[in-house]
Amino acid sequence: MSALGQRRRNSALFAGTAFLFFTILSNVPSLYAMKGFDRVLVWASVVFPVIALVSFAVGLKRAFTMREVYGGRIVGSILGVVSLLLLVGSVWLFVHVREVPQSSGAPHVGQKAPDFTLTDSDGSQVSLAQLLSAPVGASAQPKAVLLFFYRGYW
Amino acid sequence: MRPVAISVDTPDVSKDLRSKAGYTFTFLSDPKAEVIRRYDLLHVGGGPNGGDISRPAEFLVDSSGTVRWENFTEDIRVRVKAEDMLAAAKAIP
Repeated sequence: MSALGQRRRNSALFAGTAFLFFTILSNVPSLYAMKGFDRVLVWASVVFPVIALVSFAVGLKRAFTMREVYGGRIVGSILGVVSLLLLVGSVWLFVHVREVPQSSGAPHVGQKAPDFTLTDSDGSQVSLAQLLSAPVGASAQPKAVLLFFYRGYW
Repeated sequence: MRPVAISVDTPDVSKDLRSKAGYTFTFLSDPKAEVIRRYDLLHVGGGPNGGDISRPAEFLVDSSGTVRWENFTEDIRVRVKAEDMLAAAKAIP
C-alpha cells in the first residue's frame, strides 16, 4: 500500500492537454480580427503545439518509467498523438497562409493607380475614374477611394 | 473616403454578400482577374478547387488617381484594420 501512497498527479499531461486546447484556440479565425492580437496568434499557433508535444513527451516518459508513481499511460498516449497531429497541422497552416504572391508589380505609394472598368453587383459598368469623381452625398467628390481587393465570398 | 471592394466573385455572389452583410458600398466583379492581374495581386490556385483569386490588398487612391497608402498582408489570417484605413484617409488633406 505504500506504493499507492506515493502516487502523484502527472501534471505534465495536464499541461499538455491545456496547450492542446490553446492550440485549437489560436487557430480560431474570429480571434484574428482583434487589433494587435493577430500577430501574436500567428506565432502562438505554432509555439503552443510545440509546448503541448514537449509536455506530453515529459508526462509519458514519467508514466512509463515510473509506473508506480505516475499514471496516464493510455490517455496520455492518445492525447500525445493528437498533439503531434495538431503540430503538423498548425505548421502546415502557418506555411500555407503565407503563400501569398510577392506583388512587386503592384502600384506603389506615389504612383498612379491604373484605371479600369468593372461590373458592379447591379450589372452596371463602373470605372475607377468615375469612382474618383462621382459625388458622395453633399460633398462634390470623395477625398479618396479605398480599393479593397479581397479573396472572395464564394 | 469611398470604399470599393474588388474580387473574382460574380455580380450575383457580391449581391448576395451585400444583402446578407448589409454593405452599402460598391462591389466590383473581376471574374477573369484582369484588373487583379494588372495590379499584380493574382494568387494562382488560391481559391476553392484551385481557382485563381485576388490576394488581400488595400490601396487608398486620392482624387488625382495617385496611390497614397497601401497594405499587403503576409499572412491571410492577418487582415487590415479599419482604424489603419481610416487613419490613412484622414492623412489626405
